[in-house]
Amino acid sequence: MRSIKLENITKRFNGEVILENLNLTIPGGKIFALLGPSGSGKTTILRLIAGFEEVDEGKIILGDKDITHVPINERHINTVFQSYALFPHLNVYDNIAFSQRIRKVPEDVIQQKVAKIVKTVHLEKHLYKSIQQLSGGQQQRVALARAIINEPEVLLLDEPLAALDLKSRERILLELIDLQSSLNTTFVYVTHDQFEALTVADTMAIMNPDGQIEQIGTPKEIYEFPVSSFVAQFVGSTNIFKGILRITDDKQWLEVEGVGACELVIPKQKEWAKDGALALMSVRPEKIDISKTPLEGFSNAVQGVVASIVYHGRSTQYNVRLTNNQVIQVFEQNEEHFPKEIIDYDDRVYLYWQKENVVLLEK
Amino acid sequence: MSSIKKIVAKESSFFWAVPAVTWQVLFFYIPVALIFLISFFRAGLAGGFPTATLENYIYFLGPSFFLVILRSLLLGLVNGILCLLCAYPVAYCLAIKINRFKNLFLFFLILPFWTSLMVQVYSWFFVLEHNGLLNTILLKLGIIQQPLHLLNNTFAIYLVMVYCYLPFMIMPLYSALEKIDRRVFEAAADLGATQWQTFIRVTVPLSMAGIRTGFFLVFVPSFGELVVPILLGGGKQLFVGPLITQYFLSARNPALGAAFTCISCIMLLIAVGLLYLFFKKYMGTTTAKGKI
Repeated sequence: MRSIKLENITKRFNGEVILENLNLTIPGGKIFALLGPSGSGKTTILRLIAGFEEVDEGKIILGDKDITHVPINERHINTVFQSYALFPHLNVYDNIAFSQRIRKVPEDVIQQKVAKIVKTVHLEKHLYKSIQQLSGGQQQRVALARAIINEPEVLLLDEPLAALDLKSRERILLELIDLQSSLNTTFVYVTHDQFEALTVADTMAIMNPDGQIEQIGTPKEIYEFPVSSFVAQFVGSTNIFKGILRITDDKQWLEVEGVGACELVIPKQKEWAKDGALALMSVRPEKIDISKTPLEGFSNAVQGVVASIVYHGRSTQYNVRLTNNQVIQVFEQNEEHFPKEIIDYDDRVYLYWQKENVVLLEK
Repeated sequence: MSSIKKIVAKESSFFWAVPAVTWQVLFFYIPVALIFLISFFRAGLAGGFPTATLENYIYFLGPSFFLVILRSLLLGLVNGILCLLCAYPVAYCLAIKINRFKNLFLFFLILPFWTSLMVQVYSWFFVLEHNGLLNTILLKLGIIQQPLHLLNNTFAIYLVMVYCYLPFMIMPLYSALEKIDRRVFEAAADLGATQWQTFIRVTVPLSMAGIRTGFFLVFVPSFGELVVPILLGGGKQLFVGPLITQYFLSARNPALGAAFTCISCIMLLIAVGLLYLFFKKYMGTTTAKGKI
């Protein structure tokens, strides 16, 4: 239930700075996802919280207790490892019971606890199997059960689903959400997979390759209102336009070379956004409509030629070359309820979007 | 012609194995069978056709010969345990704690064992003799007033036995420990185990295959060890190896020697079987199962 505070954390490996002066507050009793590309230092943060690594500078505070120098085995924090790191010499039961035996809990109490946990993670049938007999998904559940039997204050999950297929991932993600709400433990979920992070997180932080946190927010905030072009491009797909910002009394737009004026809305907090400033804007592919005939009612419309078409199943991706030679992505839902016009390679098309769907970003 | 080629190609692994198997059969299995056969021969000095008898075996009934076998079993057992205790820390450090120059350390560890066994054993004389290295140092340091008798006793035998057999223990232990995924150590610590608890509950069980292999690699040859008891024990205590040699070489009684060899081998096999059961029951890798 308690929050974790990282204060001015610096961590180096062999003289190379991985994290520098990092500050992060992880709210208690929620699922917090740490999303970033490989090598961004997100796993290092996790290992620092768990206690596998020592910070070079800074403090780690759990609730109101400074745990910076508390040894691993005395922190009330448990980890689900990416590789599961199950004990190969123990069966499922003994793996799950490991921490309880260390704490010298009586065997009959352990039995009750294990029985309860295996029900939660659906492992009743596999209790006495050896680890080698289990599938990846089952091993993952053992790792989870082993970590939560101890009722940790914080559960750390290091890319826990990386080795599983898509269907198992989707299922276990939903189970994790249920589990968290029933345990009320703080979950810290590290991943490079935006789908997992967006699905599972109450709050998420985006890290850039330099080990800095770019943005913290709810999945919706991160997706709809990214604060930087890195966040906009890393989470989901987007189209970035470069131009000069123009502000008049009743209108704001970005003057994009070769395309023209693109109307947008500037939120109040973006104080840097002045008339004449160089700026970027991001438009998500699914916010753009595509048509061969001119349409009414959109604040923005540009023209282009279809360069390629990629069929994704639930949607179709059109890559459209604009008059300034920039190629932008458009996603269209494949709903076939109404007869639609057929768009093909080299067709001249109009692209439309609403100014409210444009995110202005600092250059 | 082509069919022969086909057979050769199909069973090529068998053909490649033929020389080694032939060698093994000619120089190990046939001699062993011969020894077994000879052990039932009546010792006849005048020659002639030998007759079958159990006399040779009856000769060895009695506590004095049994004691020799027991002493040799003890030598193997104690040497195995001592080697395990000495080798484990070395193998553990090499496999788990040291990350750089691993091969260099292994090389230095093996280097002494590329010298002849005789040289190794003789070099201990210079260390252990009356005015040898060890006594000189202890005298100079004032720890002792009189030189110690370090040679020709049980202490010397065990010391040099451990020295000679250590690599047979270190190598299997090292390879077993090195195979362990280090993340399970982190997992154990994460689940609340201290370093000692991790060692007892994770490291040792996961290296059990190495312990077992190393133990038998030391135990079995120690039982029949010839050189060390003769040279460093001063011949005061009889062991199986030297005794068999005596029957064959100085006493010129191969029938008795063969019978004693057979008895020793049977006792050794029984001991190995019992130890195997012990490992399986108490040192196995599976643990007690709880019931829900």
